[in-house]
Amino acid sequence: MTVPQLRSLVPALVFTIAYAAISLGVTNSYYQLVLTLVPVWAVFGLSWNLLSGYTGLISFGHAAFFGIGAYTTALGQIYFDLSPWLLIPVAAMLGGIAGLLIGFPTFRLQGHYFALAMLAYPLAILYVFEWLGFQEVTLPIKRDAPIAYMQFADPRLYTLLALAIMLATILLTRLIERSRFGMALLAIKQNEAAAEAAGINTLAWKLRAITLSGAIAAAIGAFYAQVLLVVTPQSVFGMLVSAQALTVAMFGGVGTVWGPVIGSVILIPLAEILHAEAGARFPGIQGVIFGFAIVCVILVAPEGLFWKLRDLLRKRLAPKAAATLDDSQAPATTVTASRPARQRAANGEVVLEVRNLSRSFGGLKAVQDVSFKLHKNEILGIIGPNGAGKTTLFNLLNGFLRPNQGEVLIDGRNMSGERPHTICEAGIGRTFQVMRPFLRMSILDNVVVGAYVRARTDEEARKLAADAIARVGLSAVADRVAGELSTKELRLMELARALAGQPRILLLDETLAGLGHGEADEVVAVIQQLARDGMTIAIIEHTMQAMVRLVDSFLVLDHGAVITEGEPEVVTRDGRVIEAYLGKKWMAHAPH
Amino acid sequence: MGSENKMNKTTKGLTRRSVLSAAAAVGLTRVARAQQPAEVKVGLIVPLSGIYTRPGQVMKMGAEMGIEHINAQGGVKALGGAKLKLVVIDCGDTTEKAKNAAQRMVAQEPDLVAATGAYLSSFTLAVTEVTERAELPVLTLSYSDLLTDRGFKYIFQTAATASRQSELGLPTLMKLAEAASGKRPKTVAMLMDNTATSVATAKALKEKLFAQEGLQLVVEEVWTPPLSDATPLIQKVRSAKPDLLLFMPNAVSDAKLGLEKISEFGLGQGKVPTVSFSITIAEPDMLQSVSPDVVQGIMTIVANWGSKGHEDLIAELKAKYKEPWMTQNVISTYGDMWLMKEALEKAGKADRQAVAQAFRTMDAGPSKYYPGGQLKFDEKGRRVGAGVVIVQWQSGVPVTVYPPELAQSQPFWPKKS
Repeated sequence: MTVPQLRSLVPALVFTIAYAAISLGVTNSYYQLVLTLVPVWAVFGLSWNLLSGYTGLISFGHAAFFGIGAYTTALGQIYFDLSPWLLIPVAAMLGGIAGLLIGFPTFRLQGHYFALAMLAYPLAILYVFEWLGFQEVTLPIKRDAPIAYMQFADPRLYTLLALAIMLATILLTRLIERSRFGMALLAIKQNEAAAEAAGINTLAWKLRAITLSGAIAAAIGAFYAQVLLVVTPQSVFGMLVSAQALTVAMFGGVGTVWGPVIGSVILIPLAEILHAEAGARFPGIQGVIFGFAIVCVILVAPEGLFWKLRDLLRKRLAPKAAATLDDSQAPATTVTASRPARQRAANGEVVLEVRNLSRSFGGLKAVQDVSFKLHKNEILGIIGPNGAGKTTLFNLLNGFLRPNQGEVLIDGRNMSGERPHTICEAGIGRTFQVMRPFLRMSILDNVVVGAYVRARTDEEARKLAADAIARVGLSAVADRVAGELSTKELRLMELARALAGQPRILLLDETLAGLGHGEADEVVAVIQQLARDGMTIAIIEHTMQAMVRLVDSFLVLDHGAVITEGEPEVVTRDGRVIEAYLGKKWMAHAPH
Repeated sequence: MGSENKMNKTTKGLTRRSVLSAAAAVGLTRVARAQQPAEVKVGLIVPLSGIYTRPGQVMKMGAEMGIEHINAQGGVKALGGAKLKLVVIDCGDTTEKAKNAAQRMVAQEPDLVAATGAYLSSFTLAVTEVTERAELPVLTLSYSDLLTDRGFKYIFQTAATASRQSELGLPTLMKLAEAASGKRPKTVAMLMDNTATSVATAKALKEKLFAQEGLQLVVEEVWTPPLSDATPLIQKVRSAKPDLLLFMPNAVSDAKLGLEKISEFGLGQGKVPTVSFSITIAEPDMLQSVSPDVVQGIMTIVANWGSKGHEDLIAELKAKYKEPWMTQNVISTYGDMWLMKEALEKAGKADRQAVAQAFRTMDAGPSKYYPGGQLKFDEKGRRVGAGVVIVQWQSGVPVTVYPPELAQSQPFWPKKS
């Protein structure tokens, strides 16, 4: 671990020590119980956050893991007389296995379908435990060996133990957050397809995430049973348990290690205070106030308190930061299109060959019988009217779609039908028509995601990312958050992300879309420079003007089929091209 | 034995000094008695929010009536007429909330000498895990066997346990059937939800009692509350035509669905005599959703009910709280207040340890507010000789029909037509 990474752990340590100091001073056993429950639910929230916060795949069923853990400690003590000191690690293992078993089939689903499927697991398991006759299970009192069975007379010990688990979980989460693991999960959250395209094996990372998340949830569930002493299916597998994880994480902030902690520190004591104070006078009112408070916070800070506070702080510090940025921004804008035109690529070695590629969606033939060759160091422009099948062609090339027939040969090897991350590894990088930046991350972090396909270590990935950023001319603003960038800078950042994986072939999908005239020139300059450095590029574009200056040859598509291909000067005069773009009546104006 | 020996020795070696110290001790006691608080706090920890609010409220009525009557009759005489004060704690609707509430009770109310609660046996389990460690004696009307199978020293179960209830209830029911209809039921159908109480009851029935009573189980169906459609269950009962139907819901909505379907299929009004094992089917809420004809004749075996001898209480409950009759929740909690008073009289001081000891050693004769047995607890904390009550819906009111000494009315066995 590097020094800055160690430094980032300081807040967690300070918080834990302060919390421990406070709890040691509390002698009232009820307050102490509340102090114990705060880290318990924080850890549960963190486990949820590890899967759902980072990947964006919302799990409504984390109680499945929690309950498995709780029943492990309860049944292990009753039937095998094992100590919870042993059973908590066992529970973590079982939770991990459950995560794997649940994840494997469920990750086939996405979005709401994933969330709903996850909801079903704890409810189904709940009935299994009821059917097995474990409606009410109590942990046996061990009067002769209380410590060996984690039964402390002093409730402060439970708090300290819960804090230790929380600190361990925070450190683990921090570690993951900054590693390839965390980057992969964040990339999945932003755009799973883009992540695959950037060379991330999304299924493998998601399975790792749910396994780890399940293990942590089960471990804390196991500990919770030790505090609650009575385990019922409702109390550990119930809807309210799953909801608790979502509530603390969403209240505090999703996708950050502090979110669940903040949520838990505020909500758990609040619920108890309401229960004790308001509930005694008007029974039932506590639920109303609690729900209302959550609704208000979600309305004001939809992403959670942490992000809201961070944004506010950023705003307050912004004037200073902006002043320093103004000078440093200059280099990014000095890149102009004034460089001399590159020598057009000769018919060198063929790096990508497409043979008779077809794909239809029902009756619509999106791509039909397309064949072309991409030579080394060539810039190929793919043009055609809207709906001509340009993006579909790219999706077939990089593995998002399987062709119905035909072959995609990369260096002579047929790669059609392979998964996107495999094709990315083979050397094809791409950008997207619709930009998918990770808005809260810095440019560097955004680009690092793309580097992991080549990099073996985190450090190497950072270096590759920095190089890629330099190549697109964004070095000066590398530390800025993507959310503050202009469209042009975002386009360049996307380009850098694709470059970070050191591809040999770049597929650029409407990279110039939405740019002003001057801005487009700057981006074109960058692409030209890439070509000069030996990159092979296929680019989809509408802006003919920019394209004519940029590309070596054109491939023109209409209705999914190739109309013509050839040098720009020839293609732009082709009557079929003009007809396809502008309609028949413009044919008259065509130069002959 | 040991203390007796010691006493003998002391009496033998009676010296001036010991007489003096004894006198001093007596003096101190008098001082201590003078300092006894004018109020003694007792706890009621029941659900007052969430889906179990209603039973919690009803238990509160019973507790309040009990406290009022005790105080009106001079409070705790052994403590110079100290008045009882009720501390009400909401245990919520989850096991965790119940546990937290119990922790709050023992931490914030150190003066409590005893408590009663917590309706659902899962909640009572969690609450007593806390009170056991805090050494606070707790009375409970929950009847799960598990409650008093944990070797706990500070829990006192006033109701017969679930398995005991079926042991007591079924033979009585058979006798009742035989006496009224002239023949013993031979076949039985059992429809139950899978809550802890039902499962415990069914276990006792299936493992022992059906065989013992010569009953053949012809239909057995289990559902998970809430019941969404009772049709398939009742269809099975109709085709099997059992002599007896055991219908065991624990939620009013489930009870209503099942009974309506029984009536709709023409099995009601005693065509198939229907018996339950919980108070759910006799709750006042039932009449909000079904008509009295649907429930007419249905019986239930319960741990306690407003009975003969409680007429004044029932009238007061009706006048004060608009409750049409007295369920187990009211009468048991009312009785718990008197039992706490009894223990305080015996303990002679407002101290939870002394009160717990008083419960353990109490032998206060027949019980006035619990059916059968004595005001005495065995080593597990179960009330000695705790019996059951059979309640039958008669003209829109569930009345006690068994045992005869408590019966408000004669039972009628619905005759098969």
